[in-house]
Amino acid sequence: MKIDLSQFRQTFLQESADHVAQMEANMLELRSNSDDVELLNSIFRSAHSIKGGAGAFGLNTLVRFTHSLENLLDKLRSMEMKATEEVIGVLLLSVDVLHSMVQSDVDQEMSKDASELMVMIESLLTTGSTVGEDGSKTSGSGSENKIIGENKTPANATSVYSVSFVPDREMFSSGSNPIVMLRNLADLGTVLSCKKNIDELPLLTDLDTSKCYLSWTVEIETDRPVEELREVFEFVDHLAEIKIERLKAAPAPSLGPTLVVGANPVVGENTPAPAKPIALVPETGNAKKPQTTSTPSSKKAAASDSGSIRVPIDKVDRLIDLVGELVIAHVMTAQMVEDFQPSLLPKLRESVAAMERNTRELHERVMSVRMLPVGTIFHRYTRTVYDIAIMTGKQIRLEMAGEETEIDKSMLEMLGDPLTHLIRNSADHGIEGPETRTAAGKPAEGVIKLRAFHRSGKVVLEITDDGAGIDPARVRAKAVERGLISPDAQLTDQQIQMLIFEPGFSTRDTISDLSGRGVGMDVVKRNIQQLSGTVSVSSTKGKGSTVTIELPLTLAILEGLLVRVGNRTLVLPLLSVIETVPLRDNQIVRVAAQGEVVQIREESIPLLRLRRYLGLALEGTDSSELGGHFEDDALGNRRLAVIVEANNKKIGLVVDELLGQQQVVVKSLEQHLHKVDGLMGATILGDGCVAPIVDVTTITELNLFSLQPTVKLPLAVVPADQSAAIA
Amino acid sequence: MKKILIVDDSNSMRQMVSFTLRQGGFDVIEAEHGQDALNKLAAATVDMIITDLNMPVMDGITLIQNVRKIPAMKLKPILMLTTEGLATKKEEGRAAGATGWIVKPFDPEKLLQTVAKVLP
Repeated sequence: MKIDLSQFRQTFLQESADHVAQMEANMLELRSNSDDVELLNSIFRSAHSIKGGAGAFGLNTLVRFTHSLENLLDKLRSMEMKATEEVIGVLLLSVDVLHSMVQSDVDQEMSKDASELMVMIESLLTTGSTVGEDGSKTSGSGSENKIIGENKTPANATSVYSVSFVPDREMFSSGSNPIVMLRNLADLGTVLSCKKNIDELPLLTDLDTSKCYLSWTVEIETDRPVEELREVFEFVDHLAEIKIERLKAAPAPSLGPTLVVGANPVVGENTPAPAKPIALVPETGNAKKPQTTSTPSSKKAAASDSGSIRVPIDKVDRLIDLVGELVIAHVMTAQMVEDFQPSLLPKLRESVAAMERNTRELHERVMSVRMLPVGTIFHRYTRTVYDIAIMTGKQIRLEMAGEETEIDKSMLEMLGDPLTHLIRNSADHGIEGPETRTAAGKPAEGVIKLRAFHRSGKVVLEITDDGAGIDPARVRAKAVERGLISPDAQLTDQQIQMLIFEPGFSTRDTISDLSGRGVGMDVVKRNIQQLSGTVSVSSTKGKGSTVTIELPLTLAILEGLLVRVGNRTLVLPLLSVIETVPLRDNQIVRVAAQGEVVQIREESIPLLRLRRYLGLALEGTDSSELGGHFEDDALGNRRLAVIVEANNKKIGLVVDELLGQQQVVVKSLEQHLHKVDGLMGATILGDGCVAPIVDVTTITELNLFSLQPTVKLPLAVVPADQSAAIA
Repeated sequence: MKKILIVDDSNSMRQMVSFTLRQGGFDVIEAEHGQDALNKLAAATVDMIITDLNMPVMDGITLIQNVRKIPAMKLKPILMLTTEGLATKKEEGRAAGATGWIVKPFDPEKLLQTVAKVLP
């Protein structure tokens, strides 16, 4: 039977990638608990699993490498060797090699890195050190890979053997069954005789059925080598006395025993051997492997699978339940509509309401399928910090909290790079060297804290370090030098700190190898903004910094506030909305050449006239839109300002009417139009109209250092005839 | 149909073994580690067990020892699924009550052959 296992290849690769990540995390933990046996066992198990599966898919290089690594791990877990920094260094490098091997998913030649590492491992095993070895020593795994083509007895000459099989009394206790063995033996050739020896059998009263009293002598004629006969009893060689004697070579196919010399093609005529010759596989043997497994097509499959997601079964079960309920509710509703009478109306309402509840819950559950714990990316940073600490000679500890906080998968993927950058920044620029720290009265070891939690419907990620902090004076000087602000600009410390997110800003004169090439924080900020999130920093010189990233739970759906501006409906993300206030002319302060602000409870909030900002056509004459007063409009409705906030900045958006709130599905504009600043996308409303969704973050940004609402916006808001195309 | 319990913490390995056994005409139940296997055995009887050795929570050797204490499982074959061709592991397994072993790398044909070798 040919069994094709290629369908499990993806599972294996994904699982191996998980193992690699787990190994790395455990190895890093090993640094502080170098004799934690459970940790070592866990690492060993991971390596072991990878090796076990890799063989099945013909990934022989991976098998060889993990085997070598396993040897080292085995020494460590048996405490024959200590997990010193040097050893852990080698382990971590090995994980990198494993990572790339698992990623590449084809059986390749051992890379240079990998071979060197294997030599290092070998030398660790023999001398306990990676140094002092000239490197000429070949790795020990060579023998592993060698398949010994041992010369077996020629397979096509038949012989008659006498097999004496005397099981131990206790044979049954091992789960072994002598009858099965005899049957297997019989399958190897023609049984000429089978003698059962019952001499040992006691009287029935003394019989213990859990003991084996019988023994057999079998004469068998076979073309198989004697090793194969012996192999039948492989598992019981400690529980039985087995003697195999060759009685005579090759009787003729007919009854009369005639000698056959040499190879005899006649055999097989009436030898009831199994149709397929069983190849003897040496125990180390990776000789025969399913050849089909490493084809380019499976490589392609790997690429397309990168978009997959693993969902806990209970989430799926709940979805199925809900769909079931929905189907039932639908059937009931349909039935009622079919036999409709006015008296049924309350019932109909009820069942429509039930459907709505189901739909809403279904929606929520479906969204949660996409949610993954942030811990899945957090753990890689332990390594990042470790590498930087080693390279810079600093002592840094990374603490993590809230790893279980869930966030949309696509966002999680896009968060990886910005977080890496922020953490590198903290480790490289933030945390000081041990001497500096001690001199400043801080512990020599710096701490970076990575925290995730929910706050008012958002996911918050915080990266805090207890390093040198940001020096506002230096930032300011640099910003002036770079022309980002004018020398006499009035800015709070908070505003100055935010300058580090401006494009082209970098306080380091010498560019470090690790982080920052002048394209640092502004890229971080842009990435976060693409996720509809915000990023801010607060820092105290000498005490450390905290970078806070706020993200919506998911990108695909948001709770929106529908507003009317002119004759268009716009959507404002409800999360950003703080309040809505009616505008009276006497609340407005016009700042010369800088625009308008509204006074609300002692606070001045800049106003933005959305209609003008978005370049909406002016339907009907409306003096207010010409920079005039905020009078009630023709119908006596009062104009409103919706106060929104992003990045700790508030702005009032002038709208004509509030229409209500609803959940909207965000559709990208970019497939249809160019990127429109100030809009994050559009949605389709219940009546089929397309409504643009305002991107509060960029709108508040535009007003950071200049309060002019008449910023030149290349805003081509969707003309009515094109809007239908957005779907 | 003969029923086999496969115990392995590696998802892919478990799936491969299950798949192969099902192809070979066996009924299969799966467990992720020794304790899981014991729980499953409390609810179902099987004709045979194939178990990995290195597993979290409860390793294969401990599982075998415990299985042999279950009256219904006293005489049933148990195979160890292991990458370790090491004699010491085999001895340890045998002492615990294992019937035999299957050496990884996993080879489906070899698995079915070995099962046939011990399963009545």
